[in-house]
Amino acid sequence: MTVGQYFSDIIRVARSIAIGMGITLRYFIHWKKNTITIQYPRERDLIPPRHRGIHYLETEKCVMCWKCSDICPVDCIYIEGTRGADGVLKGGYRGQKATLSKFTIDYTVCIFCGLCEEPCPPKCIFLGPEFDYNATDRTMMEKNLLTDEVFTEEDDRFVEWARGENDRLVAEKKKAADEEKAKAAAAKAAGVAPAAKPAAAAPAAKPPEASS
Amino acid sequence: MTLLAQAVPPGAVDIARARGTHDAQGGLYLESWIYQGLDALGLEFPFEEWVLIAVTLLVVCGLVFGFINLFALFAVWLERKVSAHMQCRLGPMEVGPHGLLQTLADGIKLTVKEDIIPRVADKPLFILAPIIVFTGILIRFVPLPFGQGLVASDLDLGLFFVAAVGSVEVIGVIMAGWASNNKWSLFGTIRTATQMVSYEIPIGIAFVAVIVCAGSFSLMEIVNVQQGWFWHWLVFRNPFLLILSLIYLIASLAECKRAPFDLPEAESELVSGFHTEYAGMRFALFFLAEYAAMYLVSAVAVVLFFGGWWTGIPAIDDIGLAADDSALTVMVGFLVKAGVFVTKAVFLVFIQMWVRWTLPRVRLDQMMHICWKVLLPISLVCLVGSTLWELMTGGGAFFGIPALFGFR
Repeated sequence: MTVGQYFSDIIRVARSIAIGMGITLRYFIHWKKNTITIQYPRERDLIPPRHRGIHYLETEKCVMCWKCSDICPVDCIYIEGTRGADGVLKGGYRGQKATLSKFTIDYTVCIFCGLCEEPCPPKCIFLGPEFDYNATDRTMMEKNLLTDEVFTEEDDRFVEWARGENDRLVAEKKKAADEEKAKAAAAKAAGVAPAAKPAAAAPAAKPPEASS
Repeated sequence: MTLLAQAVPPGAVDIARARGTHDAQGGLYLESWIYQGLDALGLEFPFEEWVLIAVTLLVVCGLVFGFINLFALFAVWLERKVSAHMQCRLGPMEVGPHGLLQTLADGIKLTVKEDIIPRVADKPLFILAPIIVFTGILIRFVPLPFGQGLVASDLDLGLFFVAAVGSVEVIGVIMAGWASNNKWSLFGTIRTATQMVSYEIPIGIAFVAVIVCAGSFSLMEIVNVQQGWFWHWLVFRNPFLLILSLIYLIASLAECKRAPFDLPEAESELVSGFHTEYAGMRFALFFLAEYAAMYLVSAVAVVLFFGGWWTGIPAIDDIGLAADDSALTVMVGFLVKAGVFVTKAVFLVFIQMWVRWTLPRVRLDQMMHICWKVLLPISLVCLVGSTLWELMTGGGAFFGIPALFGFR
């Protein structure tokens, strides 16, 4: 190693360290902009519309055809009741065509495949956006879709809130997309207009921003 | 008891009575406070002299220990926040505002954890090791000022003391690694010994160069030399000291086992090195010692190179220094200087964290290369250069440039 190499090595190392530390410092200073963490129970990410979460059952429509329970690959849907009967079973729920006394899904078994949605003739069972479901006991993981008694009132409130939050996020995303579109349109309009006034693009893009 | 009473020099009480509650530099004498308070009430101190000395020592030790704890609470939080923000994360957010009390919660958890000692470990050494490591750090705080006149004991050989007692920590770390009876701990131990012994040499040379320029070993004296405009700080005294300050900062990273020199506890290679087998309070002691060491090397760097408690602007520095200032002004100046000193040290600690979360860990041979082939020769050249510069220019500040234009 020559003397020149020795010193050029030192300078090279110092330079590369300075570059690296500049990058981390930039991230540190602009942490508010860069943070990608979502503080889960308090904030939520967008849940896609076709998300397969906890089931919902529209009891009035159910005809108790057992198709969902038949197609279920893991056999986690338990249905009890009578079809076409007029009498109301004790503790049961009277639907349009059937009287249900039990419609339970065991979430220790369910794989959220969504197959139960497909064969349902009146389309009354579907998988919703909620995915956070927990229990202190294994037996409590069986959710009764008729009475919702596994969910406490607090859970229900939370579900309501989560749905609202999801709607808000969807609306926000849509709004942002619309604004983008409006901006693009405005820019296009400004481009078509006489080229002598390129500054016209900025005011044209303003109104959608102001409305937000 | 008798022996201790004899060890206290006769007439300590008279000295304490005579010298007043603080010295010209604003330094406070705790025992004098007690005596003057008693005199004001017309009372006599009811015990022998050594009781007072012992109480004073205990109080000072408690203050330093409390400061270390508080600093560690803050620094661990800061480290987690710095690392998180540099990696696009948020870090602790739940306990307290922005997770400020997270460390307190973690500390409580550590204290109530089960104290595990491996069956094959060397029990006495295993128990002794964290105590020695922590004590080795705590002792180094003795000559270290926290502000003007705010020091446990202003030793005449303060800098020498800091450098010498620093080696005690190595013994504790070697003890911990050996007593754990674990191959990863032993690897970590051997690396620690290699690293800390090697990197003490550039640090020592930086110390010598500072001593040559400041003309004193005492940390208080070294700070007093740097009074005035910021170009009187030793880092701007000559170009060689500027380089030496960088060398000190690099070597001090290795000295307190921080990345990129964290080979002794390299998580990805050695689990966590010499403290792999430690849990609960003993682990907490190691952790506390690491953060105390971070503050210590940063504070020493502030004392040696970055002007100690001086802000670099005489108008602010002179608050409370004039003879006819009121007690309130003196107190304000005292607090401002203590605040400036700790702020500077914490900023250097932040730089240590910044380096840690930027650079990858160096290999063992690269580490040795950096120390013996780069830092050591350059620091030796700088020592000679700085001494010659001092001899030739008679100690002109800021490379002698302000003096050319008639600035003091």
